[in-house]
Amino acid sequence: MELIEKLTVLADAAKYDASCASSGAPKRSSKGKDGIGSTNGMGICHSYTPDGRCVSLLKILLTNFCLYDCQYCINRRSSDVPRARFTPEEVVTLTLDFYQRNYVSGLFLSSGIIQSPDYTMEQLIRVAKVLREEHQFRGYIHLKTIPEADPALIAEAGRYADRLSVNIELPSAESLVRLAPEKELISITGAMGTIDSASQESRFDKRAPAFAPGGQSTQMIVGADASDDSRILRTAETLYGQYRLRRVYYSAFSPIPNSPSSVPFQAPPLMREHRLYQADFLLRGYGFKVNELIGAQGNLPLDIDPKLAWALANRDLFPVDLNLAEPQVIARIPGIGVRSAQRIVDLRRLKRIRFDDVVRLRCVIEKAKPFMITSDYHPQQASLESSVLRRQLSDQPAQMALWG
Amino acid sequence: MQVLCCDDDFERWRAQARHLLMQQVAPHAVVWADQVQPQLFANAPNADEQPAMAPALPPPRVSAQLLGELETAAQYRTPGRWNLLYRVLWRVVEGERHAGLAGDADGSELQRRIKAVRREAHHLHAFVRFHPLTDHPWLDYVAWHECAHDVLASASMHFAERLGRQRWLIVSSRDAVWYDGHELHYRRTCPGEWASLAARTRDSGDPLWETYYSSIFNPARLNPEVMQGHMPLRFWAGLPEGHLIAGLISLARTGAQKHGQTEALAGKSGKVIRAMQQHSAANRKAP
Repeated sequence: MELIEKLTVLADAAKYDASCASSGAPKRSSKGKDGIGSTNGMGICHSYTPDGRCVSLLKILLTNFCLYDCQYCINRRSSDVPRARFTPEEVVTLTLDFYQRNYVSGLFLSSGIIQSPDYTMEQLIRVAKVLREEHQFRGYIHLKTIPEADPALIAEAGRYADRLSVNIELPSAESLVRLAPEKELISITGAMGTIDSASQESRFDKRAPAFAPGGQSTQMIVGADASDDSRILRTAETLYGQYRLRRVYYSAFSPIPNSPSSVPFQAPPLMREHRLYQADFLLRGYGFKVNELIGAQGNLPLDIDPKLAWALANRDLFPVDLNLAEPQVIARIPGIGVRSAQRIVDLRRLKRIRFDDVVRLRCVIEKAKPFMITSDYHPQQASLESSVLRRQLSDQPAQMALWG
Repeated sequence: MQVLCCDDDFERWRAQARHLLMQQVAPHAVVWADQVQPQLFANAPNADEQPAMAPALPPPRVSAQLLGELETAAQYRTPGRWNLLYRVLWRVVEGERHAGLAGDADGSELQRRIKAVRREAHHLHAFVRFHPLTDHPWLDYVAWHECAHDVLASASMHFAERLGRQRWLIVSSRDAVWYDGHELHYRRTCPGEWASLAARTRDSGDPLWETYYSSIFNPARLNPEVMQGHMPLRFWAGLPEGHLIAGLISLARTGAQKHGQTEALAGKSGKVIRAMQQHSAANRKAP
């Protein structure tokens, strides 16, 4: 099979993995050195596809031959898809070529399970090792980790990769049993634990070699099973706490051709995915707890964002005076982010905050207005019922239609 | 009213501004000419612009941070770009420390320009497309890229970190930058020889990259508005994948949206894999 045909099959097979991040790596430079590649911790999106997603890495599978039969996956063994397999050398050449032409900032390599989990993991490691050692490649490498592989192999992978990821796949152990019969929660979390302890060791022992400095991430598929948002966010919160994950990616289940009857066949729930990312951001960046955002059961509202929903449910804490409140409290006002909150605090050392100052900081003023006080402004809407406010502030129906 | 010209050069503007501050010339009493907005009575850029008056005040001191912000904002292309910078500088020196902050009317505009310049540098790092040259005596890669602001000189070293000792050239309709493997050479006006080198490779496609771009796109998630927000239309012509976008969108709209698989694979025959004993679901213990 020609290289270009393999690329068609194996890029198509990789598109269901949401992550394409090239962030979190330490600063590396090739200036004046042999080899190529640099990282600066930030990550670059080199292109965007018409689905609005960023292209930052060459994201491909080594092969889409697979012994597993995960129902939500296009590459499951019972799926009737064209199959292909790259040699490790082909992946190395493609990565270096795409990198030098400035199409990508590195490689995100995953694979179907062939022969055995250990064999598959060895193949993935081989690609990373050749890139790093034979070509002195200093760009970003993200390796998908096969949970059932030997921990010694996972440790080896971490020496070459900037980021490792083990996919949790589904929000509950029951769904995993039903939809991914060969996978087990215990081996998935076991691999996360192996990565986390190796990463902690290398962090505390300065002489130890670096281990996946970009940390680990995971992906959860949303909408392939009946789990609600509460369940999803609680699973995410546990993973952040127990294994120090950098990111949990939520991937709206995208129907696949010749879909089995065990998974839904409808447009991916993109708005739901979007709200989960917003809630996740509040957990990681704003100090919110899952319990503040959602009850023991149920879903996040689709018509308003989770921060506005929280504010509407906690009207007794508002309006907040921007000239007096702590920055963390200001950042909890809908429409005002962490950075704007810091700017407001910087500015009020020099002058009293007025309404126009907040407008100039480019906060989402319509959203923030009912919840804030400045030296020249007190909200009239402060006395409005939350249900009325919600109707005023909810996202336009046209936008809902756009997101499906 | 004094009319000055700094030839759109920050260091020259800085010397002029320092002199004006020492003379206590207020912002409304001075105006700068620039390429976009020439002033009729501006002094020639190379003339000695310091009037022979004795300085009235000692040289002003401002923080390195403010100076850095002014230098970044100076790269923002807009008619009369230098006047705002002097107004902010004047006000800070006069004791209005918030004049450069986002909450201030002038500061808000300054910060907006800084943000736009940083974004344009990021666009440069993201959307430059290098074409390889074989057997060229002093060059390995060449690219054509149009920046909306003057970031080519300040933001190009990024590629030296990326490409090690390789030699590359980035050309625009105004300026150009060449890295010889050791040092960066910036030209305010692109030499003709460089421009023709870049022009020759400008429209060369790359089948592998175009295949990858088409295959990694998920038609079931079509959302062109978000794409265009991140990747403005003006860059598409310079991207090998640019000409594919319209076709991919219309294919997705006319039916492929039901699932994610790329059109190129839809008609191909597939392969179901026989289950191996130790992995088959039936063989697994009930939970």
